[in-house]
Amino acid sequence: MQLAIKATGEGAKMLTFLLSKNPRNLYDRMDKGHRVRLTYTVFSDREVEAVIFVTPDPVELVKNSPDTYQITQYINDREFVVSSIFCSDIRSALGTALNGRPKEEYLDWAKHAIQLNIGFGPVATDLPDSAIKELFETLGYQIEIERGQAAYNFQLKERSSARFINLKGTVTVQKALQHLFVLIPVLDNYRHYFIDEREIDKLERYGEGWLSHHPLKDLIIKRTLRFRELIDQVGAKFHQPDITKVNLTNIDLTKLDTTPEPTLESQPVVRLNELRYQRVVKIVENVSSKESIVDFGAGEGKLSVRLGFIPGVKEILAVEPTEKEQLRALKRFSEASHEDDFIAPIPIWGSLYYYDEQLRNKDVMILSEVIEHIDEGRLPRVMDTIFGSYKPKVLIVTTPNVEYNPVYQMDEAVRHKDHRFEWTRAQFSQWTHSLARNYSYEVQLDGIGEGVEGYGHPSQIAIFTRQGGIENE
Amino acid sequence: MSKEIQFPHAGIVLLVGPSNSGKTTLLNRLIDQGILLRSEIVSSDQFRVLVADTEFIELNKRPKDEQDVLLAEYQLISQKAFDGMADLIETRCGLGKLSVVDATHLWPDDRKKYLDLAHRKHVPIQALALDMDEKLLFERDEQREQPRGRSRIKQQVRAFRSNLRSLKTEGFSGSYILNEVEIEDTLFGRSTNPLLKEVGTGLDFIGDIHGCYSEFLALLDKLGYQSDEEGLYTHPNGRKLVSVGDVLSRGPNSIDCLKFFINHVEKDLAYMVDSNHGWKIARWLDRRKVELAHGDELIPAEFADYAREQGQEAAEELKGKVRSLLLSAPSNLVFTSNGVGVVVATHAGIRDHYIGKESKGIRDFCRYGDTEGFEESGKPIRKDWFVNHKSGETIVWGHDPRPQPMIINNTINIDQGVVFGGRLTAYRYPEKQFVAVEAQKDYAEDPESFLQKWKKERFNPPNIQSFLKGYSVMTEDYGEIKIHADYVKSAIEAISHYTVPIEELLYIPPTMSPAPEPSSSDHYFEHPQEAFKYYRNQGITTMVVEKKHMGSRGILLLFKDEETAVGYVGSAKLGTIYTRAGRGFFDQTLSEKLIRQLNADLHQGQYFTKNNTDFVLLDAEILPWNLKAKELISSQYAHVSEVSLLDRRKLLEKLELAKVNGWEVDSWIEEYKGKLENAQVFREVFQKYCWDTQGVEGIKIAPFHVLAHQGRTYFDQSHLWHMEQNRELAKLSDLLIETEFKIVTNERTEEEAILWWEEMTENGHEGFVVKPERFIARNEKGWLVQPAIKVRGRKYLHIIYGMDYLQPENLVRLKQRNVKRKQRHALMEFALGVEGVKRFVSQEPISRIHECVLATLALEAEPVDPRL
Repeated sequence: MQLAIKATGEGAKMLTFLLSKNPRNLYDRMDKGHRVRLTYTVFSDREVEAVIFVTPDPVELVKNSPDTYQITQYINDREFVVSSIFCSDIRSALGTALNGRPKEEYLDWAKHAIQLNIGFGPVATDLPDSAIKELFETLGYQIEIERGQAAYNFQLKERSSARFINLKGTVTVQKALQHLFVLIPVLDNYRHYFIDEREIDKLERYGEGWLSHHPLKDLIIKRTLRFRELIDQVGAKFHQPDITKVNLTNIDLTKLDTTPEPTLESQPVVRLNELRYQRVVKIVENVSSKESIVDFGAGEGKLSVRLGFIPGVKEILAVEPTEKEQLRALKRFSEASHEDDFIAPIPIWGSLYYYDEQLRNKDVMILSEVIEHIDEGRLPRVMDTIFGSYKPKVLIVTTPNVEYNPVYQMDEAVRHKDHRFEWTRAQFSQWTHSLARNYSYEVQLDGIGEGVEGYGHPSQIAIFTRQGGIENE
Repeated sequence: MSKEIQFPHAGIVLLVGPSNSGKTTLLNRLIDQGILLRSEIVSSDQFRVLVADTEFIELNKRPKDEQDVLLAEYQLISQKAFDGMADLIETRCGLGKLSVVDATHLWPDDRKKYLDLAHRKHVPIQALALDMDEKLLFERDEQREQPRGRSRIKQQVRAFRSNLRSLKTEGFSGSYILNEVEIEDTLFGRSTNPLLKEVGTGLDFIGDIHGCYSEFLALLDKLGYQSDEEGLYTHPNGRKLVSVGDVLSRGPNSIDCLKFFINHVEKDLAYMVDSNHGWKIARWLDRRKVELAHGDELIPAEFADYAREQGQEAAEELKGKVRSLLLSAPSNLVFTSNGVGVVVATHAGIRDHYIGKESKGIRDFCRYGDTEGFEESGKPIRKDWFVNHKSGETIVWGHDPRPQPMIINNTINIDQGVVFGGRLTAYRYPEKQFVAVEAQKDYAEDPESFLQKWKKERFNPPNIQSFLKGYSVMTEDYGEIKIHADYVKSAIEAISHYTVPIEELLYIPPTMSPAPEPSSSDHYFEHPQEAFKYYRNQGITTMVVEKKHMGSRGILLLFKDEETAVGYVGSAKLGTIYTRAGRGFFDQTLSEKLIRQLNADLHQGQYFTKNNTDFVLLDAEILPWNLKAKELISSQYAHVSEVSLLDRRKLLEKLELAKVNGWEVDSWIEEYKGKLENAQVFREVFQKYCWDTQGVEGIKIAPFHVLAHQGRTYFDQSHLWHMEQNRELAKLSDLLIETEFKIVTNERTEEEAILWWEEMTENGHEGFVVKPERFIARNEKGWLVQPAIKVRGRKYLHIIYGMDYLQPENLVRLKQRNVKRKQRHALMEFALGVEGVKRFVSQEPISRIHECVLATLALEAEPVDPRL
């Protein structure tokens, strides 16, 4: 990780004073176990260049638990690329320049825009070149992006993920460094320390005079502060950015990995989810026996929590085998438990591939958008467990209607990459009726969402009702 | 006519009689005759000395106040002496020893506590009473050093006589009363343990026959038994038959089977143990009121036919013989080799401390197995009695039919349900082989029969509650393996989302550790020397070294045809290929294509026919690396390579410029030149394992273990055998490649192996794996040793420990790594893998296989340095 700053033209030599680094000496310090070095490479009247680079201790960097730097892999780029680590390592070496406080006699030069060539990298970023360009060009730089070598003896990638950025501009040294100290972490999008209020101070200090009117301001703030609580706090200073919709001028950033945001595509899905929950709740409300309910694949508990408000319901078992989801569900349930007449669902660790005695003989069992996540070949056994062993009085199953997909004008064949199949109405009907026949249930089918002639409804639902003896065994 | 008294081989003999009746004298005589050992005698006098240094306290000549104190003291000493005796006797009973108790035992209460003890310890107890003339007792007393005195003796005689009659009814397995004449005339002897038999030239244990006489004869023929002119079946090598019981009921020819055993047991050609059906019929023949069901009702019908054909008299005679055969059948038999019990036959199960003993409780247990609710301590008894077997003998049993012989924890179930249309199995000892014949038909035609139930229930989804709170797996090779709840949850999460179906997830290969010590050389992190040293320290001298392919581990389960798969994995498919994480290795289309091609190739080479198997389970490395790891290579290895090269090149340019312009940065330049080289090695290394594939083309599969075929595993075969099998497999298919290997037995071959390793690793190959010759290897102490040790090359390790790992300041620190946890995991996962495959081969319920697989996945979820 390195940064080269070259001043050209009149006053080039002033760079040494602004950096407060004597060109006759090599700078070589240890900072938090990382070796920070600086040397000049050129020193003439009209051209002076300094290069500062950091050599972390690779063993220390990943020692014991990689958690030290929140690194999840032992082989990683943190040792090489410019990131928050780099900024904090060079912070003290470049402190004078960054604060714009050279010795008094050079203060004027500190405020003087110099023609600078700045090279830094390597950069590992998920931002496309166009975004990088917009980040810097807006600030008056000419930018050139170099790529590493990506030619391998086998087909791996189109181009290298290693980039090196060269900037050219007339700017004060302090301003240039402030740009870098803000934008390097934005590019890299990783922080080796805990982000708190101090980050806001830093952003305000370094961003003064340019950030508030930067077109990618929202992106910069969001990537710098990351957390909603912090982002809200800077609202007054930099106008509240709308984090649900990072509006990026002319750049398509929809493919970037920036916290889950509803994109245009997913809008109807959200609405459909809501409709589905409403429908299931309505069905349960109208069922005569509804004391005990099992919500299979409860996920983060969105449906379960709604079921908790239905009068007459006494027990909801929210079955889910994913820790992350279950934690979210727990939070949701505990939040809702402040409300009156709410039965808190009980999270159960489980899945349809196992048998769990406590799920037997319940009033209602729900498989909402679950079956399409099961390989078709495994469905018979799973359904046998449900109908043969669990024997709910009522079973509610929902699944996408694949015929409707053209209405969404989707590129993909299925709506979610984990969907193992999506069925037509005929397929679903055949499957449900054959199950009902084999296990003595009665089944009713319907659609959920806005129906379109010839395509059906976006989602389909089956309600199975157990026939014959309703006795509990 | 003189009496004969046989002392039992083990248990308790109580002598009964007043002081001076000659108990000690008799015992001394028996010791002199070699009938008893001095150490088998336990006497109250001896224990009074042991606990209080005195045998007797004289009271009569003392003043009253002293008498009272001394009497109290004497009573206390006596009580303690009897407590000590009881403890000792109990211990001896537990160890299967005889204790002859030399004390008066005049009152039933004195005797009752020993009767209880014997009952508790399942050993026989006899009473031997000496009924002497009172005058003789007085005479003898006067001659004693410390006479007991007339009045006391009189008192004792009264007590003795008044309780003598009840002796017969108190529950002794034998009781004898001898007077002064008889005691001289009696012949004393010592019985041997009737449950001990010798292995001799070999044994053939036969599973539950249930009247399937023709299958039984076919099995005898297959075992090499020949019928002589008397109709007796003998083996040319003098082998003997051992039936684990239930030769009768349910099937068509119970009487033939019974007659066979009557004749052969009588002639000492066969043994038969007691069993539930046998006991039922024995009681019926004993004219007890029993309800005959579960195929027992066929026996009276057969006898009725027999009477019609042979006459009533013959039928009655036969009934008598059957009755005595069944009633005399022991609950268990212990077969000895050089005096050591090595193999035990029983019907439904046994506990270790019952082995070689007989009692009502033991007989019940052996007939019906572990069916009680709770142990004496209140601990619930696991129905799987065999998991608690620790005493080392091989226990052969039947009773509870299963499709394949089940080998668990040194116990072998050989009831394969011939009467239900299964098989009749023989287990040959000491060869440890199974021989079986198929049933000619399903005689029982029981819709609830085990085969139907087994088939129906085999694929039932595992009960999640038995795992979620953490659980244990009993493995044959490692013992109990405990799995923590936290890791179980994360493993279940993976199984619920990503893995192949539970029914197909049979085996997860174990993790593999490097040698415990890093290389002693400054130039290497790992070196073969340390691996060889590890095994030599474990007493293993022959090792197999196998080239380690760098790809991704893959498990291949390949079936003969789709239909066959149904019985094994519950659905029709040609096979499955999955990763160490249990996920499908390829996408569905490619997977099917590969499996189809492998299937065609194996059929072409007649693999399934030649090996007489429905399937093969292979443990393999699948190449190239990028096949599975493309994402990882791209985002991690290639990316790091690109950024490091860019960083180091750029910086060198700047430093060279600085140097030209006069700055003294030579040492920095040298440093970064070295680093640039490291980055280049890193880039070369990972490309070495990658190449382009097009569909099936370019994919290479290197199997290294043939884990199982139908009905058997190959963990008993050496790695040389496995390498040989793999070579054969590679000949059958272009997709399969063989693995280069060498054998290391001495210094010369070790040198050669090291040279080989150095050459291949300098070329960029990952390295090799050192394995003990035997698949399951143990050290001299009997501990399991690492099934494999990996030795990775210098170049390869750049992509594991970082491109600059060889720099001295880095290497010295990295060498402080600790592999203990990794090695422990490797052993546990190995044992779990072996266990799971064995269970699969025995067609055990999927939940029993899954508990092994889930355990390995849970262990893999535990944090262990992934660089090891």
